[in-house]
Amino acid sequence: MKLMNYKACVCNLCGTGCGQFLKTDGKKVFGVAPLIAHPVSKGKLCIRGWHSNELLSTNDRITQPMIRENGQLREASYDEAIALVVERMKQFDGAAGEIGILASARSSNEDGFTLGRLAHQVFGTRIQGIGAEAGHRKSMAALEHAFGYPGAHGSLTSIDKADYILVIGTDITRQNPIIGGNIHAAQRRGARVVTLSSSHTQIAKLSTRHFRQKPGTKGLLVNALAKALLAIRTANRERRADVDQMPGYPEYVASLRSISSVALERASGIRYEDIEEEAKFLEQARSIVFLFSSGISGLDRPTIDAITNLALLTDRMDHEDSAVIPVAGISNLQGSFDMGVSGEPGNSVFKALAEPDSPIRALFVVDHDDGIIRDKERISRLDFVAYACAYKNAFMDLAQVVFPLPAYNETDGTYTAADRRVQITHKNVDNPHGVLPGWALFQQIAGKMGQSWGYQDAAGVFADIAATVPGYADLSHAQLSKGFGQHWNPKAFPNSRQRKFNAINIEYWESPTTPEFPFALMIGKAQHYWHQNNLMRKTIVPRREYDQTLWLYPQGYIEISPEDAAHLKVRDKWLVNVCSSTGTCMKIAVKISPDVQNGTAYIPYFIKNMISDFLIPYENAYAAGEESVIPIKIQEA
Amino acid sequence: MSMYILSSHEIKQLAEELRASHDVYGPQVDPQTQQVFFDQLGDVDALNLEAPIPSMPVKEILFPQMEQVLKYKYDAETQNVEMAKPYVEKPKVLFGLRPCDLSGIQVLDRFFLGQEFVDDVYLTHRRQCLLISNTCLNPFPQCFCVCTHSGPDADEGYDLDLTKLQDGYLVKVGSEKGQALADAHDWKPAQAHHLSEQKAVVDRCIDLFPEMATDNKAWVARVMNRITTGFVKSETWEYIGDQCFECGACSFVCPTCSCFNVEDARMCDGECERLRTHDSCSFEGYARMAGDHNPRQPVEDRRNKRFFCKLSYPQSKKYLRPGCVGCGRCQWVCPGDIGLPNVVQYIRREITE
Repeated sequence: MKLMNYKACVCNLCGTGCGQFLKTDGKKVFGVAPLIAHPVSKGKLCIRGWHSNELLSTNDRITQPMIRENGQLREASYDEAIALVVERMKQFDGAAGEIGILASARSSNEDGFTLGRLAHQVFGTRIQGIGAEAGHRKSMAALEHAFGYPGAHGSLTSIDKADYILVIGTDITRQNPIIGGNIHAAQRRGARVVTLSSSHTQIAKLSTRHFRQKPGTKGLLVNALAKALLAIRTANRERRADVDQMPGYPEYVASLRSISSVALERASGIRYEDIEEEAKFLEQARSIVFLFSSGISGLDRPTIDAITNLALLTDRMDHEDSAVIPVAGISNLQGSFDMGVSGEPGNSVFKALAEPDSPIRALFVVDHDDGIIRDKERISRLDFVAYACAYKNAFMDLAQVVFPLPAYNETDGTYTAADRRVQITHKNVDNPHGVLPGWALFQQIAGKMGQSWGYQDAAGVFADIAATVPGYADLSHAQLSKGFGQHWNPKAFPNSRQRKFNAINIEYWESPTTPEFPFALMIGKAQHYWHQNNLMRKTIVPRREYDQTLWLYPQGYIEISPEDAAHLKVRDKWLVNVCSSTGTCMKIAVKISPDVQNGTAYIPYFIKNMISDFLIPYENAYAAGEESVIPIKIQEA
Repeated sequence: MSMYILSSHEIKQLAEELRASHDVYGPQVDPQTQQVFFDQLGDVDALNLEAPIPSMPVKEILFPQMEQVLKYKYDAETQNVEMAKPYVEKPKVLFGLRPCDLSGIQVLDRFFLGQEFVDDVYLTHRRQCLLISNTCLNPFPQCFCVCTHSGPDADEGYDLDLTKLQDGYLVKVGSEKGQALADAHDWKPAQAHHLSEQKAVVDRCIDLFPEMATDNKAWVARVMNRITTGFVKSETWEYIGDQCFECGACSFVCPTCSCFNVEDARMCDGECERLRTHDSCSFEGYARMAGDHNPRQPVEDRRNKRFFCKLSYPQSKKYLRPGCVGCGRCQWVCPGDIGLPNVVQYIRREITE
């Protein structure tokens, strides 16, 4: 007998894919309960998951299609709004790069897949991208090279059984708290948890061992660990050694051998002897899990290459409890990649918007929850922008046509978590305004442009996904409704059995800091500021937590160590001038944090004007995410 | 106090009969996930009195996670305000409460009704409530009610109390309301041996508690003493604070946590709603005061506040019992490892070291 008021579904915030119950009467959502039987979240949720009900009952929803008339948006019928989109889109040449698609990492697979069809088959464009894809493309490329398919190797549930867990860089208890909790539980049961992180994050505190390297040297450190492991292997000849048959092995080993322990220590601040000691534990482990963050705040490609290489070198990747997981910040980042709406090199919508002479004239956007709209100027000068989202958002101001979408619990949809686990959420609340699901909206637009898709429901769309998307062939809505999802099958990729080392370059990172600009500034993040907050700002308690920080530091803050603060003669909340080596300056408050290394500084990347004004000259730094370092000086205001 | 013995069938009949005039809530198992919820019964057959402890506390019914407590519309031109009370009183039966949840309701009663201010929203939900408790025959994982004097059987606060025995359910009457219900039926009176059988059932259940719980029994009192007198070392609180993920889960699943937040939100047509939502002392914004002062900014200070609330004498005086009812739910939901029984362990470790 089904419960009256509690409906199981999948949390739609980060890429962990936790199980949750929503307490609902079918009209409104009143509360949340964790789902104990879920294999990953096991009855736990983070602050964001616990407040999904607040987001789902916000009044800040788009409820009707809208059309801009005389500068103002007015309500319109679906017929009218769709007719306008069709009329305008026909005026542009998709094949010539005039139409761009900005897809969402939060959309269901069904919506992502049909948006892809709309773009490729109806608008005839390949200029596309996913809102928060930046770093994930690099993770996918590195993993595809190493393991033969673009996706995580292994499962998040491996954390519960593995002997050894290496967390590279990510502030995981903030970004994906439930994964962080599972790692903490693993540490308590006796797994060796090692964190590489320049700041003393919570997961660093909860780890067996924390290597606190200088900024910019994570990749070098991972390579040094590989070198030390290789040295043990060479001494211990009994190892079975398929590893040395893999393509790229000789070059990789040659690169590793070139690592100088003196240069390593100078660059990273870590002694090679400590790495050697760590390698012994790595050598002993039977199952190993590698975790790093992927997406907007992910690692750079050389660091990810170093990680996948070390994973292969351990020779433990065939163990069922081993894994290499790019931990996605948004629920369906992986799925959106799988659905083929990411911006391949050469046809990235971000590039098209950034390049002043690109032919782009029209943009079709879904969700875009980031608080910061990059290239806003350019977008506002486009001939036509259509926008579709469940929630009100700054993108509405740029759009000529706006479509509402249902919230994730108002329609059937599947979502692919960071570890390729595909899960289904069934509709458990009626959208009060009779809003069309994304796939149905795209189908209607396609229909008006002369293409009939014939989908009756989301399950029908999924059947098409199973037929066309590699790895999804064994899956269906009926199958996914039985348990807690299923990982898509890597064997669908022809190279899935072939493993290759990525080419690496040993570089001893030289800090760009100078005596004049002595601080290495990095972009940090924090718990309540998830994805620059368009969603969290629509809640009550998480928003208060966010505002709490803003009240304390209304101009934003820069985190520095207590020692540096004493040296600069500043106290917490005092204003300072921060100037970068390219000449941009900002006035900002100091936040003193013992977790920060001397000579480094963090600014949170959610505070809008800070990022856009201060970091604009650092476009590359922004894209490099966690590994970006900007030399700055800090002076009394 | 009168006692009766009822068959399982008669129990179901009672629930069915009460459904005619009341909203009946009881434990039921979700078929897909096997998770237990104490929720409204669409069908009496879903009532499962042998189901394990519900995953969410029964306070959800009387003090829900999010609730509209006021609706108003202000007309700026005429300066007219229309207000409406959106919550309504409905007769309810909470059928098959675990003793820990019953104790939780008593604590909430003393917080919302027993002090200077009476909370009208809570009172409305609570007023016509029939409480039927159900003795636990065996402890569930993480349970430790034997340490907090709230189980495995109920000793006060119920209208009717059930214990499953060989012959059927022993029904104890605990209030006039319960007696009136008994009087309206032709229930078979229980014998003296039924009462001794019940005692044996409870004793057996206590024996089944894991060592950690029984062992902790005296320790909870000892830890209360430590916490009240402020003798817990700051290192211990920091050790606990380092494991706090600031999710608020412990407060949301605690049968006695009563802190809430109030927020006015605009709806369409210029109407506003006032929402009351659960809140948690683990959040930084919770303790912030005007002028940016925050007496509990570091996470360990926020964490120890929670355990002060659950395990200190001044709080217990307010609730007339410890603030913790030993249900163990905080231990299930914590992504760290700082459910209340573990905190007792950590402090105990500090004392014995």
